[in-house]
Amino acid sequence: MKKLRVQRSRAYIPTASMADIAFLLIIFFMLTTSFSPVKMSVDLAEAANREEVDKDAAIVAIGPSGEMEISNGINPGNRINSLDELDIFLQEVVMQDPTKQFIIKADREIRYDVFNAVYEKLRNNNCRRIALLTEAKQAPAGQ
Amino acid sequence: MAIHVRNRIPAEIPTASMADIAFLLIIFFMLTSVYSSNFGLQYGLPKNEPLTEVQPLESIHVHILGPGQYTVDRRPATLPQIAGYIDMKLKQNPKKPVIVQTDPDVPYYATIEVLDVCKQLRVESVSIPTSSEIAMWNNFAGGIGGVTQ
Repeated sequence: MKKLRVQRSRAYIPTASMADIAFLLIIFFMLTTSFSPVKMSVDLAEAANREEVDKDAAIVAIGPSGEMEISNGINPGNRINSLDELDIFLQEVVMQDPTKQFIIKADREIRYDVFNAVYEKLRNNNCRRIALLTEAKQAPAGQ
Repeated sequence: MAIHVRNRIPAEIPTASMADIAFLLIIFFMLTSVYSSNFGLQYGLPKNEPLTEVQPLESIHVHILGPGQYTVDRRPATLPQIAGYIDMKLKQNPKKPVIVQTDPDVPYYATIEVLDVCKQLRVESVSIPTSSEIAMWNNFAGGIGGVTQ
């Protein structure tokens, strides 16, 4: 008697659509993510009542050791070493756009006098609109 | 003559590794990107001109001495007590300004906590005095909040 050969198909997991899913994820993140021109990493203070700031606002970042980085909101950030450099930067930005918003992106642990030095420069240069960057307040544990 | 049926392999582009490449790209961008936080406490600053508008005697003076250490109109208070005090004063006068003064060695987040309370209570006018203003007010009626209403 002739033996019947059963044609076996190999078991496999279809992975062709995985690439589509992954590229869709890339496109989604590219469209929804906003990148900060200032690369300095700071631990922001927390606040519960926050408002959205302007997308093209100028940024003054103050790191945990008082180091500073500035950006006009369009160009990549530059490290500065003195408040005089900040003065020049603020004058230039305000001259170009007197209604420009300025974001102070300060580390939560810096001494107040470090923040105050930057704040006074903003006031002295007639910067009208400022925003203190914060992150969302975490709910207390157990709630 | 018997016709040979050839076992043909279907032509295909191998795409199995595409997913690996795409996920590697995602991980690379996630690790190297600095995301911007777009939310904060917004304030409109007054012009830097001689003080004529701000009247310390008619405002609520919150003094931050350290994290969790506050005085409101020269009386020691906790943050919830400050919120209650400001709320009570705002009911009497909704336009009452609040002056937030912080000692130089206090961490910045302590100021943000008080400003957050002011924002929550919808205080119309919040003033963060500069060092020159504080120096000026210190020579006036014994400092900010020297006389309260």
